[in-house]
Formats: sequence, structure tokens, C-alpha cells
Amino acid sequence: MSQAWLPLATLATSLLVAPVIFALPERAWWARAVLNLAAALAKLALVVVMVVGLYQGRDFVFGFTVVEGVSFLLKVDALGMMFAGLSSLLWLATTVYAIGYLEESSNRKRFFGFFSLCVASTIGISLAGNLFTFLLFYEMLTLSTYPLVVHRGNPKALAAGTLYLRYTLTAGLVLLLGVVALHVLVGEVVFGEREVLTALAAEQSPLLIGLFLVLLLGLSVKAALVPLHGWLPRAMVAPAPVSALLHAVAVVKAGAFGIVRLVYDVYGIQLTFELGLLGVLTGLACVTILYGSLRALAQQELKPRLAFSTVSQVSYIVLGISLFGPFGTIAGMVHLMHQGLMKVTLFYCAGNYAEELGIRRIDELDGAGRRMPLTSLAFTLGALGMIGLPPVAGFISKWYLGLGAVQAGMPWVIAVLVASSLLNAAYFLPILHRLWFRPGPAHGLGQWPAERRLGRFETSDWLLWPTVATALFSLLAGLLAGLPFSPLDLATLVATEEYLP
Amino acid sequence: MIERLGLMATQPAQPGISAVVLLLLGLPLLLGVLGAWFRPLRGGVVASVSLLPLLATAWLLLKVSTHGVQAWTLDVGPLALHLRINGLTLLLLLLTQALTLASAAYAPGYLRVAVKERSAGGAWLWPLLGTMVASLSLIWLAADLLTLYVGLELMGLAAVGLMLLPGHVEALAAGMRYLLLALVGSLAFLLGVALLLGGWGRLDLAGLATAVEPGPLLWVAMALLSAGLLLKAAAFPLHTWLAPVHASAWTPVSALHAALVIKASFFIALQLWLVLVPDAAVAAWLVGGMGTAAVVWGGLMAWRAAKIKDVVAWSTVSQLGYLLLAFPLLIGTTPAVAAIAWEGTWLQLVAHALAKAAMFLAAGNLILFTGEWRVEGLAGASRRFPLALLSFGIAAISLVGLPPSAGFTAKWLLLHAALAAGHWPWLLVLAVGTLLSAAYVFRLFRFSFIEDAPHFGLRRVPGGMDLIALLLALAALLLGLVAQWPLGLLSMTGGAP
Amino acid sequence: MLLLDELLLTLALVTTAALALFDRQLIRACALFVLFALTVALAWWRLGFPWLALLEVLLGAALTGAFLFHALGVMPWARAPRGRLSRWRDPVPLNWRRGFFRLLPALAAVGMLGIALASLPAINEAPGPLRLSGTVLFGLGLWAFALQRHLLRRLLAFNIIGTGIFLLLMSLAREVSPAAGQGLVITGLVVALLGTMLGALLIRRLNGLDGRRVMASMKNGGGP
Repeated sequence: MSQAWLPLATLATSLLVAPVIFALPERAWWARAVLNLAAALAKLALVVVMVVGLYQGRDFVFGFTVVEGVSFLLKVDALGMMFAGLSSLLWLATTVYAIGYLEESSNRKRFFGFFSLCVASTIGISLAGNLFTFLLFYEMLTLSTYPLVVHRGNPKALAAGTLYLRYTLTAGLVLLLGVVALHVLVGEVVFGEREVLTALAAEQSPLLIGLFLVLLLGLSVKAALVPLHGWLPRAMVAPAPVSALLHAVAVVKAGAFGIVRLVYDVYGIQLTFELGLLGVLTGLACVTILYGSLRALAQQELKPRLAFSTVSQVSYIVLGISLFGPFGTIAGMVHLMHQGLMKVTLFYCAGNYAEELGIRRIDELDGAGRRMPLTSLAFTLGALGMIGLPPVAGFISKWYLGLGAVQAGMPWVIAVLVASSLLNAAYFLPILHRLWFRPGPAHGLGQWPAERRLGRFETSDWLLWPTVATALFSLLAGLLAGLPFSPLDLATLVATEEYLP
Repeated sequence: MIERLGLMATQPAQPGISAVVLLLLGLPLLLGVLGAWFRPLRGGVVASVSLLPLLATAWLLLKVSTHGVQAWTLDVGPLALHLRINGLTLLLLLLTQALTLASAAYAPGYLRVAVKERSAGGAWLWPLLGTMVASLSLIWLAADLLTLYVGLELMGLAAVGLMLLPGHVEALAAGMRYLLLALVGSLAFLLGVALLLGGWGRLDLAGLATAVEPGPLLWVAMALLSAGLLLKAAAFPLHTWLAPVHASAWTPVSALHAALVIKASFFIALQLWLVLVPDAAVAAWLVGGMGTAAVVWGGLMAWRAAKIKDVVAWSTVSQLGYLLLAFPLLIGTTPAVAAIAWEGTWLQLVAHALAKAAMFLAAGNLILFTGEWRVEGLAGASRRFPLALLSFGIAAISLVGLPPSAGFTAKWLLLHAALAAGHWPWLLVLAVGTLLSAAYVFRLFRFSFIEDAPHFGLRRVPGGMDLIALLLALAALLLGLVAQWPLGLLSMTGGAP
Repeated sequence: MLLLDELLLTLALVTTAALALFDRQLIRACALFVLFALTVALAWWRLGFPWLALLEVLLGAALTGAFLFHALGVMPWARAPRGRLSRWRDPVPLNWRRGFFRLLPALAAVGMLGIALASLPAINEAPGPLRLSGTVLFGLGLWAFALQRHLLRRLLAFNIIGTGIFLLLMSLAREVSPAAGQGLVITGLVVALLGTMLGALLIRRLNGLDGRRVMASMKNGGGP
């Protein structure tokens, strides 16, 4: 047990900030901002230390027994670190963004308190070393996001919150049943120790298949796989920073990450393949990718379109891991990071348009590129990345997905990828066209729905710079993919661990 | 199973233990009388005085953990009262003292704010509370039917008295109903005891365990005993008295009642079953079926309830259903399953006691703040009374059984036991119960997040009252992660299966 | 003790109990209950439990009687009740179906008791009149408890069921462990007294509150 305090401290940075924020009075604006930013920076620093330690081959483990046969375990591995790095980076950006976004609204104390809890759960999910710990933080995530979804307190938000809870709590229950069943079957399941299940596979394969499906059912609600995605577009009523984090890191990604853990670290890719379960995943992912894109095409408002785009894009991760072979793994892992960066950028932009100009519908965006050039540039980068054009990060994901499909002997997946890319282009390019090439209020035609001048530049500094930063990151992740510590490098590390024991 | 109850202990009592146990039983009575005399106005004073029994319990814990399970008799004239002390007893004693401390510390503030005039009820509260706590301790310690009967009756009468204290018509009418049902329950219990005494001529549980032989006499006696106890425990078809009683009772009284009094009847019933009919699997499944009905019906009623306190009271009915699942999981199952179910049951009891007390106190605070009994009165509460709502929420997490609460760990254990035993129905019951409890709890929260709410009359409430609710709720939450400690206590005294 | 003696006592017990339960006038019913309690004390004395007899006279007859009369508002120095007789009843009306469903558990209890008594092991003596009277009192009391609506009558029924159980208990425990039996009966007597006391005070108080509420609503011009 070397340096057990590091994962614990990482968790504590946001977990302990929450009660302090709750204790501060509502008016203590600066104290709260400083506290939030300091915690976010500290967490990022701790994660960097752990990533470096991981490369040097050190391991960080913290654990204690909860009841006999069940333990609380925090463990650092490459897969978890990818997710932890992503969430701590985006937490920093989103904290800055949220401080600006909520500048004049009420209930900020409640918002930031639950926001910290939400990030603490995400970090907990990424550091979890066994299924019990994972489940614990997975449910905590549900609870801490509910107040954020209903933050506005109007009937629409409350209805969305209820729907969200119905989906996620039921899914959590299904997951709980699956995890308990696994415990009854083989005892504690530590991530990465796959021998027990492999040993069982010979005589109990129907049972294992059934359990896998139960666990998958529990996880796929948060991952918004197709028949279970209904809550995600409705949850759009939440404030922009919440949507951004929900879609990029917290909830959706937690579900996808859970599926990754299930396939790689509980069952093991070899066993999953042998049980014939990868085909199920591929099928689900392809259906979700195409369905999400088609629904996105039909949306007239910006945020719902982005939401359905998330439904589609997250399934790339699932598709990647379902392709048997190192390239598929790399594709899935790397998209976990890339999609987060690009999607968070897009949501920041949507929030900026709504805050500065009052724009919610897509047809109101005409000529916004002239009024808000930096935001629109960031949006363009994100959108191009989503379509998969080089050199933005999304290209790397799609390239490796294609390679993975060939390696797994499923070339028809490439057809799905092409179709999806065309659909992505079909719903993003018209927006870009409106932004840059249509004349609008900025050219003296008509008026913005509700224009406010929030800052020196095109909008408030708090809102602008996180947007620009994440856009830059998604560009750099594509350009510098070959360098050490890039998402691709980490993903390759994970894939090597998985296929070369 | 009997070893787990500590009834077969061979050790005589260590010197001092018997005296400290008597002190533990007498101290609450004495403090109650003093309370009626001085009528304390500050929670802090009450809390520091109530620490004394807690200290005595801690001393017992220390002593028993070094010397092992103790069982001894107390001679009163020609009668011999059997007492025992083991890990389970200690756990329940600690729980009782801690919850009493919390409720008693809460009471002076509550009396000051909610019950304005210095009514006679305010004076009666303390001795009745003392009697109730003493009788609860007696029930946890008792190892023969006579002592159990004395404890049960004292507790029941004190509980009725406490429920009557508000003194208005609704409280009195509900209390009258409670009184009649409690009396009927105690008659059934007494008749069952009479049959056992007539059949085998003894009342100590350890002796009865070896003496009884199955037959119509034993079954009828058990049916009568169980009916009486389940009536007092508000188990499913016999639960109708519970909600009206809680709706009008004082908050600290409700908290203790739901947390402990109901559990005491359950504890006696489970103990009697394990001792006297350890193989009656079919009957145990029947009780499990009652538990199922309780979970579902209680959950539905809590979901539909219009008043905040009704929601909490109905949720007690529902949660008690989980506890009733202990019967089919402990009786007629393999030792491995029973070992897990044993831990799950007591953890569930402790978790529910802590969470329910916290929830009642938090709900009481919210009602005091808003002056509104209905659920709609919570509109906008999240902005104006965040602390009370937070306590309520944390308690609710444990009640629903979401991690990392003690309720979650308990449910985990029960699920594990049900799966390992292959009892699929109970799996379904636990799942449905979780969803229903989430439904009624989040219905309250939904109201609290409404922004454009009318403002109801606001009242200032001492911050200490909020703090007590929060501490209890946190205890219920964090106990889930350190469950190793209470569960270790259960098995510490050489009662390994 | 002579069999005839026991039979006479049994007869007296059952008669007074039935009269107390089913007399139409409440004050007379309460007076009959005191008579019943005195008969029980006599029975205890004849059975060789003088302590129980003393307690029965003190708790069962004197104190319980006092509380019952207190509930009615009858004082020794004022023979006629002040105000009207206790009006407070169970608000749920009794119809045939409800009556049947209330009687069902009572019948079940009596039936089960019969089965249990029939299968007692041999260490007990043959059933005597005492056990018979206990069973009959138990059944009578349950019948009345299920079907009476007036709360005071229910309290009376409760006391009679209780007495029936005490008699049964002592008939069962007399030979094997009289000490334990006496302990249980004494506890039971105290509990019955306390229960009756609480019930009587409650009836009195509810009566007062109800009356006041009716007065208030009439003053406000509302309905009754």
C-alpha cells in the first residue's frame, strides 16, 4: 500500500469542499469562487502527480472492509486515470464557466455544493477499484445531479428531474441486483482480476451471460443507449454548465465508463468475446449512433440537437470497446476523452449564445459569427471534431474506430461510421453555415432575441475563456496525439495492458 | 441461532455488571422524575445529564468485550428474573441511549417553541420518557418471558402516555385507539405466555428452548404471542393505528416511538421464533408475506399521504416490512444464509432507527419553520431552510437505501442473503420497496425545489434542533461505511455460528 | 376445595361478568363490574392465593371501580351523574359486516385456545371448573369487546378478558410454578389497572373537549 493518501486526497478535494460551501452564506461570492477554483486546481495537480506516478510504475491503493466480503477500494490504473484527468480538467473549466454563468442568479450556494458532490462522485467512479465502490459513487452521482437538474425550480425542470430519477434510480437498482448476484456467485470482484470469472465460464456460461446483460442494463441508462436514452434530452432544462458537465463527463460518461469497466476489468475482453456478448454491444452501439444522429437532425433548438448528438457520440465509445482488438480499444478509450472535450466546448458555446444574445433556436443564429467570433470559432472546432475532420481530436477517434472494425473482422461497421459522419455533417454544417455565411442582426438585419453586453469582449470573461480553452484542448489533442501523456498515449497504455498481460 | 442471542451463556455475571445493569435501568427513571421537578429549559443540560446512562453502557461494552457473554438471574422473592448481555444487547442499548440523548436534547427547545404555555404535558414528558427508556433497556436485556412481559407492558403504557401529551382531541382520539389495541396486544401476549407456562412449566427462554416440543399447544401459543407483538409492532394488517398516532404526537416522542418502541416488539417476536420454533419455515414465509404487503402498502400510502408526518409514519410501516423479511431468511435456511441475514437484519434495524429519528426531527423542524403540516407547505423549502432539508435528505438516503448509507449496506446484506438462499420473492420485495421509498421521498423534495412559492409564516427555531437532526442523519449515512464495527459487535461474544 | 363450591363460584363469576357486560345502564354495569371483581377476589382466596385476592380487591375492585365511576362523572357524594352520561363512542358505526369481521378474530382466538387446552401435556391436572370459567369469561369478554361501541364498555370487556386469562393462567400454573404464575398475574393486574385508568381519564377528557367543541360550534352559528 504505497501512498494510499493520494487517491483519498483527490477524492477529498471536492468531497470536503461541499460542506464548506454549504456552510458559507449565500452572499460570500468571492470566498466561494476562490474555494472552488483552489479545490479544482488542487485536484488537477493531484491527478497529474498520480498520472506521472502511474507511468513510473507506482501503484496507489486505499481500501478498508465495509462488511465481510465487501470492501471499499480506491485504486489507480490507466483507465481510471484517463477519466479522472478528464473530469478534473473539465471541472476546472466548468467551475470558471459556472461562476460567470450564475453571476446574478439565486441559490448559488446550493448549486456549487451539489456541483462539488457531483465531481466528487465522478472522481470516485474513476478511482473505484471494485464493483461495490463503483456502485457507491455511481448512485451518489445520481443523487448529487438531481438538485442540479431541477435547479431552476419551474414545472418543466421539476418534471425533467422526476423523469431523470425514474430512469437512473431504476437503473441503479438493476445494477445493484447484478452486483450483489455477482458477489454471491464469486465473492468480491476487484477490477482487473478476471481469473475467477474465466474459471466459471466453462460450466456457467448462461448465468454469466444473464448477469452481463443485467449489469449492462443498469449501466446503459446513464450511457443513454437507445431504448433507454429518454431522460437525456429532457434534462436539457438544467443550466448550461450542468448540461455541459452532464454530457461531457459526469453522467453519460459514467455510464460509458461503467460499460468499459464491465467489459475490460470484470469479465475481460477475452471472456466477453467468447460468450458472444461483444456482438450485442456492437449492435446496440450502431443502432444508438444512427438513431441519435437522425433525431438530432430533426431538432430545431440548439441544446436538444446537441443532446441527441451526445446520445449518438457516446455510443462510439461503446462501439470502440465492442470491436475485439487493440485498435478498437484505443478508439473507445480515446473517444472517452475527445468526446468530453469537444462536447463540453459545444455546450459552453450554446450557453454563451443563450446568455449573451438570448439565442435558443438554431434559426436565430444567423450571422452570430460576426458578433461573437471567438465563441463561434470554438463552436466550429467542436462541430468539425464531431464530424471527424482532421486535425481536430474527433478524427483520431474515427480513424482508430475504422482500423478497429477491420481488425475485428466487421467491415460493415465502417459503413455505419460513414453514415453517421454524413449525418453529423448534415446537422452541424447548416449551423456553421448560419454562423458564418448568413447575414443576421450583426449585419443590421433584425434583432437578437435578448442581447446583453456582459463583458469587454464578446461576452463575459468567465464564459469566454473556458470555451476557448476547451476548444484549444480538443484541437491540441488531435494535433499532438503522438506525444506522451496525450489521450491517445494513455489509451494505448490501456490497450497494451489489456492485450499483453 | 440461540447462541447468537446469548441465551446459552455459561458464564456467571462478572462482579459489578449486575449492579451497573440495575443502574442502567434505574437511572432513566430517576432522571425522569428530576426532569419533571426541574423542567429543564436548555437542551445542553439534558444532553449532559443523559450522557450518564450512555457512559454506563460504554462501561458495560468494555467489560463484556473482555469477559464475553454474560447471563445471570436476579432474585425477587420466590421469582428468578433472567437477564443476559451480549453483543446484540449492547448494540441495542447503545442505540437506545444515543437516540434518547438526541430526543431528550431536542425536547426542551421543541417544548419552548411548539408548546408555548407551560402545560402539564411538559412536566409529564420526562418521567414517561424515563420509564420508556428503562423498559426498552429491560426488553433488550431480558431472557425470560416474565421480564419481557413486564418490559413490554411498561413500554406500551409509557408510549401511550407520551402520545397523549399534546392533549387536543385528535391526539386523544388516536391515543385511545392506540391504548385499546395495545391492551388487546398485551392480552394476547399474556395468554400465549400462560399456555407456554402451562405446557412446560417454565418461563426462561434458554430452558424453554430445550423443553418445548412441537405440537398444537406450541403453535397456538406462538400464534397468540406473535399476534400480540406484531400488533404492537404495526406489522401489516395490524398497522392502522400508527399513522394517526404519529400525526398528532410531539416530534421527539414520534422519533423515539418509530425508532425504538416498534422495534422492541419486533425484537421480542424474532427472538421468540428463533428460540421456540426454529424450524417453522412455512409460518416464517407467511410472516414474510405480511412483510411484503407492508412494504408495498406502506410505500403506496406514504406516496399518497397529504401531510409530512403521515409520509414519515407510513414509511415506518413500509420499512418494518423489510425487517419482517428476517423471519423467512433466518428460519429454515442454511447457516451461511442465516449468518448474512442476521447481520443484515440488525443493521437494517439500527439504520432505520437512526434515519427515522433524524427524519422525524427534521420533519418536525420543517413543520415548525413553515407552520404548515401539508406536503405542499414544503414549497421553496430548499432555499429557506437548507439545513433542515439537508438533514431530511440525508436521512432519506438511508431510508431509500442508497449508498453509502447504513440502509444501503443493510439492504446489500439482505439481498445477498435472499439470493444465496434462492428466495427470489424477497429480492423483488426489496427492489419494489426501494423504488416506492424513492418515490415518496423525492415527492417531498420535488416540492422543496419549487421556486415561485408563496411564503408561509416563518418562525425562528433554535439552531441546536437542526444540529441534532443533522447529526443523527449523518450517523445513519456514515454507519454504512463503517458497518464493520456494529457487525463485529454482533459476533464478538463468542456467538459465532 | 369442594367441587360444588367451585361450581358455585364459577357460576357466580360468569353471571356477574355477563351482567356487567350486557347491562343496558352504564352505571349499573360498572357497579356490577365491582361486584364481579369482588367475586374474583373470593375465588383467589378460595384457591389459596390470599395475596392475589388482596390485590384484586384493592386494584381490581376499588381502584378500577373508582376510575370507571370517574369516567362516568359519578361521585360518591353526588349520586346522580353530573352532566350527561359519557357520550364518547367509537365514531365508526357498527353494521353486520363489520361486526362479523370483528367477531372473526375473536372466534379464532377462542377456537385456538380450545385446541391448545385440549392438547396440554400430562403434567397438568384434569381441567377443573376454574379453567372452564376462565375460558367462558375470555369468550364473553371477546364477544363484548368486538361488538360494543361505547369505549367504557370496551374497557369493561378488556378487564373481563384479562380476568379470564388470569384464571386460566393460574389454573395452568398452580401445580408447576405458582411463583411465576403469580408474578405474571400481578403484573397483569397492575397493567389492567393502569390501562383502565388511562382509558377512563381519556374518556372523561374527550367528553369535556367534545362538549366544548360542540358548544363552540353552536356559538358560531354553525351546525351541531
